Amino acid sequence: MTTSVAAERDAGTPAASGGAPAPARPDRARRRTGAWRPIALAAGVVASAIAIVVAVAIGSAGISIADVWRAVVLATFGGELQADFAQAYSIVTELRLPRTLLAFGAGAALSVAGALMQGLLRNPLVSPFTLGVSPAAAFGAALAITLAGAQGVPAWVTIASALAMALLVSAFVLTLASVKRMAVATLLLLGIAVTQLFEALTSALQFAANENTLQAIIRWTFGSVNDATWSDVQVVWVVLVLALPLVLWFAKDLNAIAFAGDDAAKSLGVNVGALRVGLIVVAVLLASVVVSFCGVIGFVGLVGPHIARLVIGADHRYLLPFSVLTGGLLLLLADTVGRTVLAPAVIPVGIVVAFIGAPIFINLILTRKTALR
Amino acid sequence: MSLQIDDIRFSYGKHLVLDGVSLEVAEGSFCALLGPNGSGKSTLTKVIAGVHRPASGTVSLGGVDVLGLGRRSHARLIGYVPQSGEVPFDLTVREAVLLGRTPHFGIGPGRADWAKVDEAIALLGLGELEDRSLSELSGGQAQRALVARALAQDTRVLLLDEPTSALDLRYQIETLQLVRQITRSHGITALIAIHDLNHAGRFCDQAVLLHQGRIQRAGTPQEAFDEAALTAIYGLDVTVEEREGYVEVRPVVREIEYQI
Repeated sequence: MTTSVAAERDAGTPAASGGAPAPARPDRARRRTGAWRPIALAAGVVASAIAIVVAVAIGSAGISIADVWRAVVLATFGGELQADFAQAYSIVTELRLPRTLLAFGAGAALSVAGALMQGLLRNPLVSPFTLGVSPAAAFGAALAITLAGAQGVPAWVTIASALAMALLVSAFVLTLASVKRMAVATLLLLGIAVTQLFEALTSALQFAANENTLQAIIRWTFGSVNDATWSDVQVVWVVLVLALPLVLWFAKDLNAIAFAGDDAAKSLGVNVGALRVGLIVVAVLLASVVVSFCGVIGFVGLVGPHIARLVIGADHRYLLPFSVLTGGLLLLLADTVGRTVLAPAVIPVGIVVAFIGAPIFINLILTRKTALR
Repeated sequence: MSLQIDDIRFSYGKHLVLDGVSLEVAEGSFCALLGPNGSGKSTLTKVIAGVHRPASGTVSLGGVDVLGLGRRSHARLIGYVPQSGEVPFDLTVREAVLLGRTPHFGIGPGRADWAKVDEAIALLGLGELEDRSLSELSGGQAQRALVARALAQDTRVLLLDEPTSALDLRYQIETLQLVRQITRSHGITALIAIHDLNHAGRFCDQAVLLHQGRIQRAGTPQEAFDEAALTAIYGLDVTVEEREGYVEVRPVVREIEYQI
């Protein structure tokens, strides 16, 4: 998987020499019109599917890839479940598969949301959480946990509270920013303010909470896919699948904003204000849903798009779908590592991904051809 | 298809920047917008480019009110070269020029779009650089990529907002020569906001002097560059003389400090 990605990258990175006059070599012609990119994308989809199956098989239960395939076929098309396969079947369909799909879907959603935000705000250092989505969601969850107190709270109430708070705060930030015509600097600064405010509010709840509540609040903020259910998977994937065609439709307009700037994008026929609000809403929705179901998972939304950009280039028509794959794979890798490295203990994926993501990101920064200005 | 600008008013908040600007630029001619900093010349190009909506007034091209058109239709008629800004992502020259085709294609560019891109790249002599990243280019090369983008846009009007301000002398002259050549070869009407009066006098067919949001003088450079008017507008004594058929403006600098 990694080797195929590296090969694609070699094929795709234009030779730095560039001084040669233009002979009509077929590979050059293909590279120029970007025909290699759909191939890279298709290869990425295949690699992701393989990675998901392999990840499901990995673990202490001794399940083979053939077993995974058999269980998937059985679950999809029906058939008779033999007694000796029952345990493997339930491990695959009730534990591993939802967990794996949730990890991939969450990573994919965060990564594509990150790519959107980086393009819209013309800043490669922003993430889907830049506008304060994750602290707001964490506060929403903490509020639900605190109010429920000792009798505990059903998972869906915490999720709903987190989601509502994240969306409410994002709407607030966007409304305030629209007063300043959605200027990039305004959005970034409002995001910082809201992040600080909601971290303080969560801290206040933690300060007032008793031992058990405090533990529940903190446990929630570790992003994890430990308790993945099929309904979690459904929600995350439905939002992701609905968002993708929408963002792809506007990808070329996003290119104009990201690469040419607001003024030039307007002169190229793009409705910059409306597009920025619309696509930020999509990004915020993706990020809010993931945070509400899985807790805070940093780095994927930042690193996923960067890895994708290195492989397939900055053109959002390819970057957005490829970010889905890099983000999904990154989180899948992190979760697989997290549940195997100290097995039977399971490290929350939010912690592992930071360990994996930070070195990748540092490496990216240092090996960039051009320094970030 | 002359470009007609009629009684344009525009303000940033309460600050009135354009106070009833009217002018006409003939098809295929090269017009310079001149004036001190803050005179409204950049703002006027942005209004014509559809970046800003004026409070009142009309912009029409060949009798068609372009401000009433949809954004995309507007962008197919009028192209805009902004003051060079930085690109926060790695992008090849070719991809950057392709951005000019944004108002022409749906989801992906077609053969005709790539043909226009190749044409623009060839016209600006960027062929050898087309696979380079924008961030590797010199200031002059990056500026040429921006002009190529506007040419790939395939419009009837080309607006340039101080395209020469960041360039050395050679690239300044090359850029202006190129724009003039495009107006001649393609019949494109070009409007340029520019500081250098002598460059405008040398390359442009028409010169418009803006000051405090109003047009003070307009006409051929010979007509527009009036000593008294320039002295009043810039608050600096100048002399205007003809040299090899072109007007030249020189500031009169009194060397007071040396006499003491």
